[in-house]
Amino acid sequence: MSDTTGAASPGRIVVDGRPIPYQAGDSVAVAVMRCGEHPKHGGTICLGGDCPNCSAIVDGVPYVRTCQTAATPGLVVRRHPAAGNPSFPAVAQPDITRSPVADHVDVRRETADIVVIGAGPSGAAAADAARAEGHEVMVLDARDSNEVVAIYGGPTVIVRRPNGMLHVHAHQVVVATGAAEIHPVCPGNNLRGIITARAAEQLHDAGVDLGNAVAIGTPPQGVPCTAVAGRIVRFEGTDTISAVVTMGDDGLEVTTPCITVIVGLGFAPRDMLSRMSGGLPVSVVGQAAEKFPLPPCPTAGTVCPCSRVEVEDLEGVWARGFHELELVKRASLCGTGTCQGGVCGPHLRSFVADRSGEVPEMFTARPASRQITLAEASADTYTDVFRRSPLHDEHLALGGQLDRFGGWWRPWNYGDHIAEYWAVREAVSLGDVSTLGKLVVSGPDAVELLERLYPTTVADIRPGRSRYVLLLNERGHLIDDGMICRETETRFVLTFTSGGAANAEMWVRDWAETWGLRVHVLDRTMSLAAINVTGPLASQLLQRVGLVDPPKFLQHRHDIVAGVPCHVMRLSFTGEASFELHHAVDRSVELWRALMEAGQDLGIKPHGLQALFGLRLEKGHVIVGMDSELDSTPRRLDMDWAVKMDKPDFLGKSALVRTAELPDHRRLFGFTMQGNAPTEGSPIWSDGNVVGHVASSFSSPLLGHAVMLGWLKHTPVPEQVQIDGRTASVAHPPFYDPEGRRARA
Amino acid sequence: MPALETLHGLRVVASPAVLDTALWPDNATVLRLAPDDVFAIGATAEQAAHATAADPDAIIADESGFVGCWLDAGQLETVATHIEWHLPTQRPALAQGYVAGVPAKLWLDTDRALLLCASPYAADLIERLK
Repeated sequence: MSDTTGAASPGRIVVDGRPIPYQAGDSVAVAVMRCGEHPKHGGTICLGGDCPNCSAIVDGVPYVRTCQTAATPGLVVRRHPAAGNPSFPAVAQPDITRSPVADHVDVRRETADIVVIGAGPSGAAAADAARAEGHEVMVLDARDSNEVVAIYGGPTVIVRRPNGMLHVHAHQVVVATGAAEIHPVCPGNNLRGIITARAAEQLHDAGVDLGNAVAIGTPPQGVPCTAVAGRIVRFEGTDTISAVVTMGDDGLEVTTPCITVIVGLGFAPRDMLSRMSGGLPVSVVGQAAEKFPLPPCPTAGTVCPCSRVEVEDLEGVWARGFHELELVKRASLCGTGTCQGGVCGPHLRSFVADRSGEVPEMFTARPASRQITLAEASADTYTDVFRRSPLHDEHLALGGQLDRFGGWWRPWNYGDHIAEYWAVREAVSLGDVSTLGKLVVSGPDAVELLERLYPTTVADIRPGRSRYVLLLNERGHLIDDGMICRETETRFVLTFTSGGAANAEMWVRDWAETWGLRVHVLDRTMSLAAINVTGPLASQLLQRVGLVDPPKFLQHRHDIVAGVPCHVMRLSFTGEASFELHHAVDRSVELWRALMEAGQDLGIKPHGLQALFGLRLEKGHVIVGMDSELDSTPRRLDMDWAVKMDKPDFLGKSALVRTAELPDHRRLFGFTMQGNAPTEGSPIWSDGNVVGHVASSFSSPLLGHAVMLGWLKHTPVPEQVQIDGRTASVAHPPFYDPEGRRARA
Repeated sequence: MPALETLHGLRVVASPAVLDTALWPDNATVLRLAPDDVFAIGATAEQAAHATAADPDAIIADESGFVGCWLDAGQLETVATHIEWHLPTQRPALAQGYVAGVPAKLWLDTDRALLLCASPYAADLIERLK
């Protein structure tokens, strides 16, 4: 093929590193073919956007249909490799602690009574008729750069445009997308030089010389070519067509030399959009709604140019017993490529019809009907939001390495988690625990609610005192833990884990409503920040900033700390004396800085989760979801002490009673081992068998060996196991300060 | 977009029936976050206690956990492009849902709107509305 216009080129595109000129109105595919090249490496060209045979990498985006892409100056086109798949651009995400940044694609939203897809004769008629009835009509056509790629519920029509995506919310959709041309399936159909009749007309109109062309089937209009009767047997040539072999009614093969074969083999409805919109108010008109005859059953050649599925592949799938269209598709991958059955669909149906005796309906289509980029697919959608504590910037300023935990950005460490560990054990340290769930429960039935919710006794908690509690579901499985702080006879503050807070809030509200109890619930999780002041010098630090008489262990009260009103709770997760200062979020930076300033000569350091996880592990404190499993009962966690089975009732009690006498082979144990801590999740071995796994591990600086929590799921429980190729001893935590003197100090 | 500022107010949790009939000062902006939950800007604790006097167990707490900004009609139109749901046409009205993928609320007054969200979401909301 060559150019016959002789017109000056308005510009050049760059194909495989070589600048080539194009003419006004050219698509990239036409420009490439004008230069005598194939936009891919072979296969039938339709120029209708229905096949993968002109797809290429355009400005770095693979699988772009170049027949639908206007040639513009400097456009960089790389043809897909002749074999295999094009490589995708490398995505650099060097810092996983930052939100991923994708290419930005603008999205515009519009509404319309009726959307008509396709501006051809049937689409125009449908639009006119709708307008005549007074409807607001929007017509979308790929030739006007409004390429509809999907229809979702609503219906919402997703349109790709050169400057971004358009989402149209419509009451009704009319699909008038016409029909696609049938591609030939026979030996040699991957050669260059095969074009459909419509493509021939386009190329001829664009001034592309098709050379010595023969037409088989319905010939193109106005295109110089020689008509050849009969059906196609095969194409001959090496890379490019040199001849076509046909067979007439007499059964004799006729070889016709040529460099271009124009095929007019019929049509198939271009109905993919309607096939993806079942149940929606979507109608189909024109050729897209027609029932065209299927092509003859293919006997050889490539059926699916996207996935290079040959007829013999289909035969192999059929022989293995896949006898339905959907099954043949899935087993062979025919129809799963970039054109989604646009080329192979009619041949596949014909293949199944020939063998089964029944013509199957075309398979269901799913968005998107066109290969689109991830940025286009995700345009106007957002990644999950991870909340930031009011101290977020303070952490960053202190060198904090932040990561996502329980729906929040939290400091993992500040550069040296061992130094942070020692600050807690020997001096004083601050931890940001703003992320903890915080709920106020108030009302005359508050005690009744909490007695039913928690497996511990609540009524005997005096105002100003607090208690550690487990939260169980009806099956007696641990779903969260935290503290109950009693403020008055009828008011309590509950705390929950950071990751479990949202579920816990719903849990409390649901049960309060289910039981019809007179309580009010207020979630303060995002209204109050919290700083944990922990370490042997914590009391000293707090006295310096105005808390003259810090509360005793498991006491709490409202007081002023460094000028900031705080709810001060004395507890301990680190194993040292700890004071949680709950306060208004807008005062948090002020309080943090005051504490850091006052503690300078006390060796104060902030600590992140990495140090905290080790500190609590030395104490054997369980982290829900990390050490516990979905069906962990208190018994399995060795936390029976936190359950008062003599209470009249509580959620999960009946399940615990029922299962108490059953044998239970799964238990959480402590382990110690010389050397460094093994990776969390490591298998635990005994006598050559895997008997469990490590849930948490830490190389204890103070103890000089590894400490772990892990699950043993076989009995009898051995005294020693193998972890990471080393011998570990089963132990009972806490590993550090088992009497709890330091926490109470 | 205007900057998001801390909104100082009161959270009042009381029985729905009491909140249905509670009287608030004219200058207060009262957002009914849930049948039993109000965020009142511009009301004092005493006024809140008076408004909910019929519910002795009502919770009244200082609230500084929301940030927000007032939007004019043009700014609201810009924000609306980041909303997938239909804004109510009634005024005034409180609308709650995702704005640019962030849980947020819109208090839609006759000629302006208050966009607000919980402060832990502020940075993302600002970034996404840029």
